[in-house]
Amino acid sequence: MSKDSPKTRLKDLTRGKQPRFFDVQGVDELVSITMGLAQELWAVKERLAAVEALGGARISSAAVETYEFSNEERAALDRERREFIDRIYFVLREGDG
Amino acid sequence: MTDYVRHGLRIEPTRDELSRQRFVSEIRRHILGDLAREMRSAYEERVEPAIVREKGHEPEDGVEVHRAMRGERSYRFYSAMRVNCQKLVWRSVIPTVERNLEELKRKIAGAHANGNGCGGSVTLDPDVETPPYVANHDVHMMPGCYHTEYGDDDIAAGALYDNGTSVFSMGLFGNARDDIGASIARFISLKFPELRPRRILDMGCSIGSNTLPWARTFPEAEVHAVDVAAPLLRYAHARAEVLGVPVHYRQMDASQCHFDDGEPGFDIVWSSMFLHELPPKKVHAVFREAHRLLRPGGLMLHMELPPNCRTVPYESFYFDWDSYYNQEPYYKAFRDMRPVDCCTEAGFDESKFVEFIVPSLARNGEEELQDYVSRQDITVDENTGRLVPSIRWYCFGAWK
Repeated sequence: MSKDSPKTRLKDLTRGKQPRFFDVQGVDELVSITMGLAQELWAVKERLAAVEALGGARISSAAVETYEFSNEERAALDRERREFIDRIYFVLREGDG
Repeated sequence: MTDYVRHGLRIEPTRDELSRQRFVSEIRRHILGDLAREMRSAYEERVEPAIVREKGHEPEDGVEVHRAMRGERSYRFYSAMRVNCQKLVWRSVIPTVERNLEELKRKIAGAHANGNGCGGSVTLDPDVETPPYVANHDVHMMPGCYHTEYGDDDIAAGALYDNGTSVFSMGLFGNARDDIGASIARFISLKFPELRPRRILDMGCSIGSNTLPWARTFPEAEVHAVDVAAPLLRYAHARAEVLGVPVHYRQMDASQCHFDDGEPGFDIVWSSMFLHELPPKKVHAVFREAHRLLRPGGLMLHMELPPNCRTVPYESFYFDWDSYYNQEPYYKAFRDMRPVDCCTEAGFDESKFVEFIVPSLARNGEEELQDYVSRQDITVDENTGRLVPSIRWYCFGAWK
């Protein structure tokens, strides 16, 4: 994995008016932020799973980077990812009461 | 590699990038599955009965449903999360593309220099202007849209589209993300076994995912494909070559094609998920051009979401969502058109109009596809056009 900055930076923001769905200002952005947080937390969880699979302490970052999950480990992670999403967003499956 | 980009132009994400990409695919499944069902329940349990109480009748179209849904919490979260998820689709692959771009360009240039191709070509035309419906907004929220170039012989937009749609598709477009083309080409070959196309044209081909299956299904045919975006076409050509499928890509506006010889002389003129990105006037111009380019007896076929005249108001609202919030502003106008009218206004005979529902070959298998070949009804159900595991594709067109 190269640590150098890429020679070319691509555009990373979408042009145009951003849709809003909530009446209170900022809620749309908070939704975006929570999704980003969840995404990052998932990346950390997957990296941690690799570290744990490698045996914990004295593991180099290069070994973690290139570790290949077995089919069983991948299946467990796939399952856990779905559960992970539901744990964060379960409130949206509740009715309005 | 990014999931579902497994050909010779694949690029390697870091572990964290791949984790982020898989998260985006998974949360898209959650939004389009669980949250969409929750929104539908809210509609059926509260919103529709309220409309009936107030107006004395069920909603008449998708616009009425949309208006009534705006205050629903489920609609707000479904929509806000879907918009942000679409942004995350692109953001999850941009760092991977950036880091691998120079090597990818070298790989493509090297392949061309060494003459390792399989007989396809790419012909660019600097006089083709980027039309306003591409230049003025980021279709599908893809930063830079299809046409942005970051240097000479650039392919970044092609790589971004290939890897981004890999995350977007959640595996529902098949492992090579060619399921639309593969399913429909196979269906046509079975339904019309006497059809022996010699020349096939794909209009608005982007990176050619759904062009290649036509060349594979009809290996005797010469396959051409056109698009306005140079970085997509360069990438499409390289992609076809590494996959060993000869296709001739040209930079052209689909409504104004100019081929050196043999026109009009196409046996099949095809497009997939293209027409809805065009302003209505342009849609009609493309239909007229397809009619001009077909030889007598040839088939024009377009894959799109089912039109509003074939969907109930709730489904119309659900499908038209992209028109309002996914930077596809002409989607609703296109879905409001009657497919048969598009064909007859372009010179096709109404008696030669065709519509098909085609099961996904990748998801539903050959047996179901063969079963649909003999069916006459084209009932649009909850699996038609929806990104669900048992997806079925809608297409329409006409014989010339």
